[in-house]
Amino acid sequence: MAILEIKNLSVTFGGIKAVQNVTLSVDNGEFVGLIGPNGAGKTTVFNAVTGVIKPSGGEVVFDGQVLNGMRPDKIAHLGIARTFQNIRIYPKLTARENVEIGVASIPKYDTISAMLRLPHVRRWDKEVKEISEKYLGQIGLMEYKDVKAGSLPYGIQRKLEIARALATQPKLLFLDEPAAGMNTAEGLELVDFLKQVHEMTGITIILIEHHLEVVMNVCSRINVLNLGQLLFTGSPEEVQKNPEVIKAYLGERRK
Amino acid sequence: MGYLEGISISICINIVCVCGIAILTGYMGLFSMGHACFLCLGAYTSACLTKYLGVNYFLSLLAGGAVAAAGSVVIGIPTLRGKISGDCFTIATLGFGEAVRILMANIGTNLFGGATGLSGLEHFTNLKSSVVIAVIAIILTRNYARSQHGKIALAIRDYADASELLGVNIFHEKLKALMISAFFCGVGGGMMAHYYVYIVPNIFGNTMSNNLLTSVVLGGVASITGPATATGMLTAMPEAFRFLDNWRLSIYGLTLLIIMRVRPEGLFAYKEITAPFTALYRWIKAKALKPAAKA
Ligand SMILES: Nc1ncnc2c1ncn2[C@@H]1O[C@H](COP(=O)(O)OP(=O)(O)O)[C@@H](O)[C@H]1O
Ligand SMILES: [Mg+2]
Repeated sequence: MAILEIKNLSVTFGGIKAVQNVTLSVDNGEFVGLIGPNGAGKTTVFNAVTGVIKPSGGEVVFDGQVLNGMRPDKIAHLGIARTFQNIRIYPKLTARENVEIGVASIPKYDTISAMLRLPHVRRWDKEVKEISEKYLGQIGLMEYKDVKAGSLPYGIQRKLEIARALATQPKLLFLDEPAAGMNTAEGLELVDFLKQVHEMTGITIILIEHHLEVVMNVCSRINVLNLGQLLFTGSPEEVQKNPEVIKAYLGERRK
Repeated sequence: MGYLEGISISICINIVCVCGIAILTGYMGLFSMGHACFLCLGAYTSACLTKYLGVNYFLSLLAGGAVAAAGSVVIGIPTLRGKISGDCFTIATLGFGEAVRILMANIGTNLFGGATGLSGLEHFTNLKSSVVIAVIAIILTRNYARSQHGKIALAIRDYADASELLGVNIFHEKLKALMISAFFCGVGGGMMAHYYVYIVPNIFGNTMSNNLLTSVVLGGVASITGPATATGMLTAMPEAFRFLDNWRLSIYGLTLLIIMRVRPEGLFAYKEITAPFTALYRWIKAKALKPAAKA
């Protein structure tokens, strides 16, 4: 059963057609790749689905609900989470506090109770703290829990961003080039890590990558985007053999 | 009333106001150039309640805070919604602040006294109660800052878009921060009214707004006691350097410039000065235990 259906999605910025008529669907529990050369429109697809930018045409249906025109925080509460191509962890919060934002994006107590620090506030804060540490433990970041996120090594920051996204208990997780800026060894370690996360949680994952090796390794199905259009959808083997994909990767300039 | 006592009361009043603004500016990252208008609303509310209705001073302060918080919603709803930038909020507060001040000079003249203001208020504000209120303000805002609300405020300040995609309702959190800041300014305004026993709309102008904002920025982001200390310093400094005559304002400006150049995030950014509070806590605990021990 499809959890996400993108129908004829188009996004334009001024004169640029960043995404043109893209139709794709993702099944529940799948681990799909979205690849394509730089500027192909991959991030823009994520932005359109998560409500960050308004599509100029088409429809996005998630879990039976139309997402068009919905506010990003509402979309998040429906069960979509994401990471960013350029990391957006909160540098001045500790690793645990970063995850706490994902666990409790809407505090369960009002402003006045918070100021008076009433017993139910303390209790709930403690609960959020414990849940956050559980996520950090799952991802293997427990040792960094009290470290300011901004001072963590790059690879750990990437993992922390994923932990924070998982803490919102999503049904669908978008990962935007999590291996960007990593060397091959780190990239391969991340691949293993992503496989583990997928097996452990069973959630649907859509992975953007422009390093083919990474996607080939983990995704059961790959969508290839080029110049804003969906070029091809298929298994890693099919993608590797497809002459059009090869051509796109050898580089064809946007007209 | 002594000279030192007067300065101390002024410092306490400023601390009450600055604690609220620390949430708005130091945590949420929103800059207001018109917060004097919330002192104005609080001052008039509180003054009218004690003068015309004989309401208890402390209740009148709470009412002043509540009216200021309600007033902040008027400016918050149109400017904090959606993708409107923080700069827009800043400019809007500048205009709103002036509008409130001019409104108070021109409406209900027989009640508020127009441009000549309200006089003949009772001198309810004393040092003892002011210190207590200032300490309470610090504790309440500090509690808010360390709660999940405070962490979310920092998250919004750093990456609003990422926070929204984690499910944070940015508009609600920003509006809460604004209302808190307005509330404490309203309380401070009420204290001010019953300290000067005379208020005119013109004292709640840009200078006051700027001084409050300066204290918060100088005191440091993500701190409550930092801005509280800074406002103490800034209130006392011009007095301490009075012997320098006209030079004191230049020195004041120069000091600010140097501090902001050396510590752009403020003097006590991400730090809290806790020692006085732990000492106070121990003292209260010891006092509370003594009678129990005797019995
Ligand atoms: N916010 C934006 N404003 C204007 N142009 C944009 C914006 N976001 C993306 N684009 C343009 O849309 C195209 C696709 O960008 P993007 O989706 O980021 O590509 P990818 O993630 O595949 O590298 C690029 O030409 C880019 O310059
Ligand atoms: Mg991209």
